[in-house]
Amino acid sequence: MKSRRLEQGGRIDRTKSIGFAWDGKNLTGYQGDTLASALMASGQQVLGRSFKYHRPRGIMSAGVEESGALVTLGKGSRAEPNIKATTQELFEGLEACGQNAWPSVRHDLGALNSLFSRFFAAGFYYKTFMGPKALSGRGTGFWMLCEKIIRQAAGMGKASREPDPDCYDHAHAHCDVLVVGGGPAGLSAATVAARAGLDVLLVEQDFELGGDLLNQPESADQQRKKLIAEAQGQGVRAMTRTTAFGLYDHGVVGLVERVSDHLPGINQHLPRQRFWIVRSSHIILATGAIERQIAFGNNDRPGVMTASAGRAYLNRFGILPGARIVIATNNDSTYQTATELEDAGAVVSLIDARENVRSELIGLLGGSNISLRIRAAPLSVKGMQCIKALEYTTATSQGWEHGGVENCDLLLVSGGWSPVVNLLSHLGYKPIWNREQACFVAPETDIPVCMAGSAAAIWNHEDCLISGQSAGGGVAKLLGCSVRQKKAPKAGGWGGPIMPMYEVAVKGRRLKSLVDPQHDVTTDDIRLAHREGFVSVEHLKRYTTLGMATDGGKVGNVIGLALMAEALGKDIPDVGTTTFRPPYTPVSIGTLRGRNVGEHFRPLRRTPMHDWNLEHGATMTMAGLWHRPWYFARQDEGIEQAYIREAAMVRETVGLCDVTSLGKIAIQGPDATEFLNRVYTNPFARLPIGKARYGIMLRDDGMVMDDGTAWRFSETEYFMTTTTAHAAKVMTWLEELLQTRWQDLKVHVTSVSEQWAGCAVAGPKSREVLMASLENRDMLSNENLPFMGVMEMQMGEGIPCRIARISFSGELAYEVYVPSDYGAAMMELLWEQAKVAGGCLYGLEALGALRIEKGHVTGAELDGRVTIEDAGLGKMASTNKSYIGKSLKNRPELVREDRPRLVGIKPSDRSKTFHAGAILCRHDQVSGMGEGWVTAVTHSPALGHWIGLGFIAGGHEQWKERKAIVADPLRREDVEVEIVSPHMFDPKGERMHV
Amino acid sequence: MSESGIPRISALSGHYSTGKAGEINADGSVGVMLENVEGLVLYQVAGWAETMDKVGAQIAKAAKAVSAPGPGQVVTGKKGVLLRVEPMKWWLTDVAAPAISPAHGTTLDLSHSRTRIRIRGSHAGEFLNRFLPLDLRERAFPRGSVASSAIHHVGVTLWCADGHYDMFVPRGFALFVWEGLVDVARQFGLEIV
Repeated sequence: MKSRRLEQGGRIDRTKSIGFAWDGKNLTGYQGDTLASALMASGQQVLGRSFKYHRPRGIMSAGVEESGALVTLGKGSRAEPNIKATTQELFEGLEACGQNAWPSVRHDLGALNSLFSRFFAAGFYYKTFMGPKALSGRGTGFWMLCEKIIRQAAGMGKASREPDPDCYDHAHAHCDVLVVGGGPAGLSAATVAARAGLDVLLVEQDFELGGDLLNQPESADQQRKKLIAEAQGQGVRAMTRTTAFGLYDHGVVGLVERVSDHLPGINQHLPRQRFWIVRSSHIILATGAIERQIAFGNNDRPGVMTASAGRAYLNRFGILPGARIVIATNNDSTYQTATELEDAGAVVSLIDARENVRSELIGLLGGSNISLRIRAAPLSVKGMQCIKALEYTTATSQGWEHGGVENCDLLLVSGGWSPVVNLLSHLGYKPIWNREQACFVAPETDIPVCMAGSAAAIWNHEDCLISGQSAGGGVAKLLGCSVRQKKAPKAGGWGGPIMPMYEVAVKGRRLKSLVDPQHDVTTDDIRLAHREGFVSVEHLKRYTTLGMATDGGKVGNVIGLALMAEALGKDIPDVGTTTFRPPYTPVSIGTLRGRNVGEHFRPLRRTPMHDWNLEHGATMTMAGLWHRPWYFARQDEGIEQAYIREAAMVRETVGLCDVTSLGKIAIQGPDATEFLNRVYTNPFARLPIGKARYGIMLRDDGMVMDDGTAWRFSETEYFMTTTTAHAAKVMTWLEELLQTRWQDLKVHVTSVSEQWAGCAVAGPKSREVLMASLENRDMLSNENLPFMGVMEMQMGEGIPCRIARISFSGELAYEVYVPSDYGAAMMELLWEQAKVAGGCLYGLEALGALRIEKGHVTGAELDGRVTIEDAGLGKMASTNKSYIGKSLKNRPELVREDRPRLVGIKPSDRSKTFHAGAILCRHDQVSGMGEGWVTAVTHSPALGHWIGLGFIAGGHEQWKERKAIVADPLRREDVEVEIVSPHMFDPKGERMHV
Repeated sequence: MSESGIPRISALSGHYSTGKAGEINADGSVGVMLENVEGLVLYQVAGWAETMDKVGAQIAKAAKAVSAPGPGQVVTGKKGVLLRVEPMKWWLTDVAAPAISPAHGTTLDLSHSRTRIRIRGSHAGEFLNRFLPLDLRERAFPRGSVASSAIHHVGVTLWCADGHYDMFVPRGFALFVWEGLVDVARQFGLEIV
């Protein structure tokens, strides 16, 4: 292929030279070039190697269907494989290289694979590596032996293993009409719809609007500009470099906008790409059509490309793609291209498979030196890394037979056109075969999506414009605008009919004819699949991998179907078609994840004391989405020393713990008491104002949902606390109950978790510390605020607060809540006093140790499998009232005596420890699922050894005389333990009542 | 609830500095301006099905507004702003809620529960649509509209005010959301005021 840049012509800006590198070699192109056009103009022919056989590949198209010029762009962490050089805009400093080749795509040792290609046919992996090892020597072991070598030898580009350094945006847009495709049909459709007063968004995957007009001679540019100006004049919002990759229900479309892929350097503020979700009332698909190849010998050699691509390189990029060009066709669309190429200086010959060619077309060639050979078709290409000649066939009554050889350096092929119906297919609509046009077209639908232009198999330029206008008008009418809709043209538009032709072969000639070049699927592979029974389209696809490469079947699907139909003796529509699925073109994973990465992978929730905690030495941990203090290490302390010290200090003096993450819900209204009485298992009807009560909620099925407290502040107002883990679930549950079951109750529930910052003040000196932090110290006496008492008062500096005397640690303790903006101020006040009292700050780990000593349950125990009896809280289940879950908690299976019950666990050898998650077994039967499980383990400062909580069949009463084994098969550790009451420290609760 | 004399500490306090950043236009202008509006006064007022009119009249009086807004709407009074955030709930900003009889409805102080972020600038709507799936076109979300939505699963409330948007973000998530806003706003040219 002796391509050269012409002195003039094309849409490139010759005043703006752009330097780039290809395989380490510095080259230049122009503003307006794609990487493919710049490489072609630089005389580069071999740009890639094929998947399996390492066959040399060049540029095969000028668009998204490219299957030859797949390259790796960028390097290091920014290396991106499988980029289509035909769609990559050239920019200063671009670096690209060939892939799947060593040492280079021009001289690739992997090409040796080609010698064994007959062994690598469809099903190679199944036949070679699957099967009973004993009989064949095949099997997993053999596969694992060969896998690394095969993966080295075959494949496509390799992605970087480094983290992606670029950022990606997500965005949303809304419009009345979304037009996909910025060609003549799309532009005219958008203009008409916008003129009717609709809000129109037009998206175009190319970096310029105009569609096929971009590939036409300069004279067509006036019309292109006019169409664009009209659309802009009507307020159409146009997005270029934007691909509609997926169509979804209710007018939702996924777009990828390539924001800075075409810009030199790295813009630190712009994302690389942007993922749009567009919601539209109506969609017009003016997505164009893709020219098909024909299967013949060596139809993938560098120098074989579609005829429309040849025209694009000539008219858009100012390149004469060959000096001696053969155009092989079966339809009318190539004749104009032939004359344009000849006018540009090429020697052109046309071979047309049809028996009759219209006189108008022959007239078009009149006055030129273009030779026309009818009833002829390409048989095989001569040459390895470039074309030297074409062997063609001629049609006889017996079929194709050898016709002759014609020297050439470029072969342009047109096997017909396939309308891009992919997006509609995403919604599950199967394309239907149009026999006259030899292509699949979109079916009629009852959804607000319509086709326009060549996407509707309309080939004539003028008809495409009318088709767009008709679509725009039709949509406007549907959306209530008063417009006249033009009549839509019918499919077709060529003067003469296409001659369906998918493969050219001569009996007795063995040819390597590619159907899907990206995956090296040949015509022989299709026939092999047929012989082996894989005749369903879906089986054919999976057996041969036809259509499963990065082009998604754009190039080979129709040919593959046609060959299978022929083998089955059926028509193409009887064979069916595969379903196109999103994405239309590949989408970077980075684009889908957007900015939700690193610390922003999930929402991070900070307490109002977050900074204060950090300033005071907190090591943080995640509790759901919350960041909570884990422990406050003092000098040289690790987590173990720190939490044991903290827990011990709470028992000895006083500790402060940020408990803001507890769920908090305001329950308000005249029926608030009745509401709580129905939700909790224990009675709330007589809870006095100024008191709190611990409560258990069940699910409908009788299992425990959550536990918490409710504080009563007035006849109509409660403050509910929940566990951190179940805060959102409980809130949703309460809303659901009020909105669906108890609409008669006058109750409003509102999450106030964010309104209040909370601190637990726990330990023998907690009253003294808290008292010293209040404006009115007397308020906190045992008489004024007894156990489970609640009160609203003021801390120092006039900070309003709510205090409840409740305890999770088992010590004299209080929960103090202040409005969140005063959270840090509260901590400051309390900490000043706690320091005086010899207290400490404590985190989640010490909190856990304290509650395990006391046998208090958390989400670790209330895991959805536990009944109120299992949790040892059966006395809290009222028998005198109705509440959620009451009936179903009494199911026979849930009241069995041998159900696992909450217990305390102590190692027989007090120096030993064990792990949460281990199973509890009988001493004489350490196997199977065991008799229970361990939920939590800690070192108990109060008891001086490790302890745990867990569940075991029958509860601790059943294990009084027996030892159990904590079996930990994963760690291979078995520890003998005593099963005891879960209340392992201060079982009578005397310490918190002082 | 009474307020303390000591200053309130916002969720964003100490985590940003004012000034311009990102793609600033040649004339120094920016596309997006962000402001942490401190000292939020926010009350929720809710009624019962048969008392909505009465409660609406009471809060309209408190805000010195002509009337209480309908769902998805905002009415700005001389003393306060009323936002209808749920079918039976209003938010009242800038002024304390009036006393409402429990027989008629409930009031709740939420002043510390949200961080109020003000967004304005020529690209404010486009910028917000980088996060929010709301249709912010003028005819769908005109001035005086309010809607609930989410940013990366964090529920937020957006009010289209006169020349700016106000977004109410749960306090605990405010810094997380703010970081995201600042990050994205740079491409439009950002000024934090």
